[in-house]
Amino acid sequence: MNAGGYGWLVLLSPLVGVAFNVGVGPSVSRRAVGWAASLSVLAGFVFSVLALIDLLGRSDSQRAIISTGWHWLSGGSFQVDASILVDPLSAVMLLVITGVGFLIHAYSTGYMHGDREEKRFFAYLNLFVFSMLLLVLAGNFVFLLAGWGLVGLSSYLLIGFWWQRPTAVAAAKKAFVMNAIGDIGMALGIFVIWDHVHSVDYATVFTHAPSQIGAGSHTANWIALLLLVAAVAKSAQLPLHTWLPDAMEGPTPVSALIHAATMVTAGVYLVARMWPLYGLAPDVSDLVALIGVATLTVAGLIALVQTDIKRVIAYSTMSQIGYMFCGVGIGAYSAGMFHLVTHAFFKALLFLGAGVVIHALHDEQDIRKMGGMARYLPYTAGLMWIGALALAGVPPFSGFFSKDQILADALARGDWVGYTVWGLGLAGAFVTALYTFRLMLLVFHGEPSDYARRHGDAHAGHGEGPFSMLWTIGVLAVGALFAGVLEIPGATHGMRNFLEPTVPAHLDPTGNQEFGTSALAVALALVGLYAAHALWGRRSDAPRRIAASTAPLEHVLQDKFGFDRLYDWAFYRPAVALARGGQRLWEDAAVLGSMNAVGSAGSWTSRLLSAAQSGLVRVYALAIAIGIAVLAAWLITGAS
Amino acid sequence: MSPGIGSWITLSSALFCIGLAGVMLRRNPLVILLSLEIMLNAGNLLLVAGSRYVGGNDGHVLALTVMAVAAAEVVVGLGLIVALARRGAPLDVDELRSLRG
Repeated sequence: MNAGGYGWLVLLSPLVGVAFNVGVGPSVSRRAVGWAASLSVLAGFVFSVLALIDLLGRSDSQRAIISTGWHWLSGGSFQVDASILVDPLSAVMLLVITGVGFLIHAYSTGYMHGDREEKRFFAYLNLFVFSMLLLVLAGNFVFLLAGWGLVGLSSYLLIGFWWQRPTAVAAAKKAFVMNAIGDIGMALGIFVIWDHVHSVDYATVFTHAPSQIGAGSHTANWIALLLLVAAVAKSAQLPLHTWLPDAMEGPTPVSALIHAATMVTAGVYLVARMWPLYGLAPDVSDLVALIGVATLTVAGLIALVQTDIKRVIAYSTMSQIGYMFCGVGIGAYSAGMFHLVTHAFFKALLFLGAGVVIHALHDEQDIRKMGGMARYLPYTAGLMWIGALALAGVPPFSGFFSKDQILADALARGDWVGYTVWGLGLAGAFVTALYTFRLMLLVFHGEPSDYARRHGDAHAGHGEGPFSMLWTIGVLAVGALFAGVLEIPGATHGMRNFLEPTVPAHLDPTGNQEFGTSALAVALALVGLYAAHALWGRRSDAPRRIAASTAPLEHVLQDKFGFDRLYDWAFYRPAVALARGGQRLWEDAAVLGSMNAVGSAGSWTSRLLSAAQSGLVRVYALAIAIGIAVLAAWLITGAS
Repeated sequence: MSPGIGSWITLSSALFCIGLAGVMLRRNPLVILLSLEIMLNAGNLLLVAGSRYVGGNDGHVLALTVMAVAAAEVVVGLGLIVALARRGAPLDVDELRSLRG
C-alpha cells in the first residue's frame, strides 16, 4: 500500500472511534470508551508513520500523492472528487495531529475520569481529530472547506462541553461566530478561484494559477486576502483573536489539543499549503507577516497581566502563532511549519501540566492562589520547566531552534518587513521569557498560599495525579526537549529538506545572521528570566509598584487593548439595537399585529354568524322550506 | 274514467303543504315526525302518478326506495323520541334548543 492508501486509513481511524463511541459507547464502560477513542487515534498515528516511511522511500519529485476515492459531486462543469493529498507538508501535520492527539486522548482518560458525560467528551474529541485530518489531507478546496468547518464545529462543541456553565456556552458561541467569519472568507476565496481557474483541485489550481490569475493582480490579492481572513479567524490572530482566551472555558485537554497544538495552527498550514497563491500576491504575504508580528507583540503583552493560568498560556499560544505567521508571511514556510511542530509539543506540555496543577488544586485556575506547587508536584514542575524553557527559546530546547530560524530568515530577507519581524520578534522573545517565567515562578515557586497548602497537603498522599496524566506529559517533554535536533543551524536541515519538494525555501540566512540572531534572542530570553526572577521570584511589592507607576499602560493591558469592548460597541450593541427596533417597529406592529388582526376578524365573524344557530328546529325547517321554494321558483322560471 | 295527471299533482301538492305546515307549526316531535311522513308520501304519490303518466317503472322503483328510507328514518326518529321521553325531557321542540350557537 502506498502513502495515499495510508492517508485514507489515517482519515478513517478516528471516524471508527466516533462510530464506536456513538453507536456502542452508551452500553460499554467509561474506561472502554476512553480506550477506544485513544486507540483509534493511535492507529491513525501508526498509519501516519507508515505514510511517512513510504514518502521517505520516494524521490523528491514523487512525494506528492493524490489519491482519489470516488467521484463526489458533479453539477455541469463543476466536478469534485473525494481526493486526498499526501505530501511532506500534510505528512508533518498528520504526525503532529495523531501523535500529540493520541497523547492528549490518553491524558484525558485520567483528566476526565468521573465526569458525568465522559463518553460524549471522547466522541467529540474523536470527531475533532477526524475533522482536523480531513482539513489537512484534503486534496481539493471543497474538502478543505468541509474540514475547516468541521473543526470549527467540534471546537464549538468542546468549548461548550460543560454546558451547565453559562460562561462556557457564551465562549463557545463566540468562538463559533468568529470562526464563521473565517469560513465565509474561505468560501468566498474558493468562489473567486473557481471563477478564474474553473477547478477546485489543488494540483490544477496551483498549476494554472500563474497563467489564469497572474502575479500581483487584483484577483490574486483578493484570493490571498480572503483565505487570510479564514486563517486569521481560525488561528486567533489580530483582529479576530478574541475568542481564543475565552475558549479556555473548555476542559484542559481540549485547550491543549485544539487551542494550542492543532486547530489554531491550521491558519499557518493554510498559508503554507497555498504558497503558490501567496507567491502571486506578495503584498498580502507581507500583510500575513505584519499581522503575525502585531499579534505576537499584543498577545505577549496581555499575557503579562493575566491571572488565570490557562489564559496566560492561551495568550502565549496566540503570540507563538504570531511567530509562525511571520515565518510563512516572509516566505520562510519550512521555518513556520517547524515552529508549528515544536510549539505543538511544548504548548501541549504546558497545557497538560497546567491541567495537572488544576486537578491537584480542585479546579482552581487563579495563579494568585497558587505558589510553591513545586514542592507538591515536583515531577510536573520539572516537566513544565522544560516546556517553559522551550517556549522562551532557551537552548537546547526545541523552541530555540524553531523561533530563531524564523527570525534569522526574516533578517536574511533584508527588507522593511523582514526587519520589522526581526526587531519585534526579538522584543517578543524578551516578553515571552518574562510572562513564561512569571507564570512558572508564581505557580511553582515561592511560598505556597493557604489554598495551595491545604490542597497540596491533602494531595500529598496519592501522587501527583493519575498515571495516564503523568506519562503523557513525560512523552511530550521528550518531544519539547529533542524536536529541535531536526533543524540545528549549520548542522541539520531535516525539516527544510523534507518540506522542500512541497514548499520552497527562498531564504538562506548566512552563518553570521543565524548566529547573531540566536545570540541576541537567547540573551533577551535570559534577561527576561532574570527580570522575571527579580520581579516575581521573591514575594515583593515590586510588580504592584510598577503597575501603579504605569497605570495607563496597566489599564490598557488589563483591558486587553479594548478589543472586546470595541466589538461590543461596534457590532454587538448595534445588532441588539437593530433587533430591538425591528421587534418594536416591524415584528410586533406588522407581523404579530396582522396575525392578531386575522385571528380577531375570524372570531368576530363567527360570533356574528353563530346568531343564526337558534337551536329552534322549526326555524331551520322554515329556512329549508324557503330555500326549496326559491330553488323551485328559479328552476321553474328558468325552464320556461 | 280515472282522474287526469293534474288532479294527482294537486292532491300531492296539497298533501305536501299539509305536511310542511305540520312540521312548521306543531311543537310535539311525534307529530312533526308524522307530518314528515305525510310530506314523504306526497312525494311518493307524485312519483307513482308521474310514472304511470309517462309509462314506465322508474317512478315505482324510486317510490319503493323512498318507503324503505322513510321506514329507517322513522325507526331512528321514534327511537330518539322514546329516549327523550325516558329522560323526562320536554316533548316540545322549542324547549329542546341546546344546540343554540
